[in-house]
Amino acid sequence: MNEQAREVDDATLLQLFAGQPVDQDSIDHYRGLLQRRLLINRCADCGNWHHPPRPICPKCWSLRVRPTEPSGAGTIFLLTFLARGDSPPHPIATVDLDEQVGLRYTATIEGPAKPGEVQVGDCVELTWIERQDREVPAFRLSGSNEHLQ
Amino acid sequence: MGRVVNHLRDYVAIAGAESTGFVADNTPRSRASLVAEACVAVLRSCGVERAEIDGLCGSVPTAPVVQEMLGLGDIMWFANPPTPFINQVVTAAQAVYSGTCNVVLAYHSSYRLPWNTPASLRDPFRASPGSRAADGSVPLETIGGPIAYASWAARYDYEYGDSSLGRALVAVNGRSNAALNPLAAKSAPMTIADHHESRLVRWPLRLLDMDVPVDGADAFVITTAERARDLALPPVLINACAVGAAARNTEEGTAGLDATGQSVVARALRERSDIWLDGADLLYPYDGFTSIAIGWLEALGCCAPGEGSAYLAANWDERTSRLSLGGRVPVNTHGGALSEGGTQGSGHVREAVHQLQGVAGPRQASRARTALLTGGGFFTNAQGLTLRAAD
Repeated sequence: MNEQAREVDDATLLQLFAGQPVDQDSIDHYRGLLQRRLLINRCADCGNWHHPPRPICPKCWSLRVRPTEPSGAGTIFLLTFLARGDSPPHPIATVDLDEQVGLRYTATIEGPAKPGEVQVGDCVELTWIERQDREVPAFRLSGSNEHLQ
Repeated sequence: MGRVVNHLRDYVAIAGAESTGFVADNTPRSRASLVAEACVAVLRSCGVERAEIDGLCGSVPTAPVVQEMLGLGDIMWFANPPTPFINQVVTAAQAVYSGTCNVVLAYHSSYRLPWNTPASLRDPFRASPGSRAADGSVPLETIGGPIAYASWAARYDYEYGDSSLGRALVAVNGRSNAALNPLAAKSAPMTIADHHESRLVRWPLRLLDMDVPVDGADAFVITTAERARDLALPPVLINACAVGAAARNTEEGTAGLDATGQSVVARALRERSDIWLDGADLLYPYDGFTSIAIGWLEALGCCAPGEGSAYLAANWDERTSRLSLGGRVPVNTHGGALSEGGTQGSGHVREAVHQLQGVAGPRQASRARTALLTGGGFFTNAQGLTLRAAD
């Protein structure tokens, strides 16, 4: 684990993620990002995962929700590409994580990706990409995606 | 579950509606100024004295600011619920029905905000501290806000096939109707090809799939049907309303296209309304994005899920470049958010009121006794409303 990231105090972390919905319930998720760890809340009592981070398990109402690392593997459920002038369109994928039906996380797709090269239904895995001297989560295609053959 | 009883059926009326009209430019005016103009106009056209207003319900500015700005007297009730505007209508109707107040002045200002357009971002009167991320922060991907509609439009096309024709027909219908609407921001003719060739903004959605950021305001008087009968204009009765959300309601987590806020609102409204598709003379599906309107048509049951595009094509009038559902029902007769302007639904309500009052001028539908309206989209802002002309 990155000791430096662990030491970032809450006030600094709020500045680093200005504009993001950081509060007492989600701050562990964002601190995890600084440590290159994707942390998703999981209930210590019933095992249910949920995202975005809530202070209570929506299934069993246990307060013992724990930031937990999923495998990072999943399937693209939603996909769009944002136009950026002359630059290639920027992909944004919402991925169904393998851990639980409907447990989803949104990030970009690594590397050059255009509509048609990446599709809804593609299998992906978590990776980390550099952005403004920091690392942020992204997904990359994994396994055998038929249309790539 | 017990039988649904729609207690407020036809008890509350919209007595009148007025508008500043809408422009797709940064006006040199404040939101308060736009609201003031529309509010004064509606009180005059209804013949309501300001001393009679005892309730306020709107968006921006807040009700206390509007109260002082217009020199109103004491008010007994006010609220500023989130838009789309059917929420304001429903909230006001509930206050009147409950007896908390008697005559509500309802208002909404549409305003080009920093995130709408680069021109708005440069206007110091429109920029707010939160409109840009602070220096030193790292942007992370989100599908919050408008991006979600592109993502879910792509999901729709993945499940059902390309819907770009249906989306184009929604856009062209709006533009053809806006040509007859002097309040509209956009009235230049549009073709299906214009839609398909417009700039790809968020794949698969193009510029002409998105509503037009505008400046302008609408205002309404909402009171009991009994009081409205004595005012200057024919009352429009609120028959049923719904404001709903699905169990999973985030942009990211919504379970599927068949489990949106639209599905919930369609079900709730149908259980309460005396007016449904077979009896509605006018249909106003919310169209902040073309794909939202298609979602509404499917949720309401105009056609099966996934058949929206084919349904629109089958109900297209080539001669007028307009929709005519079942050869009978016009859709978004004012041009919708896509062409009249992005009014967050206040335009849909105002136009339905004008049609049902018979004052819609060149747009007046030949038969206009009942209307079915929807507001908002897939997630946390879906709303429904049925209106009918008083006998």
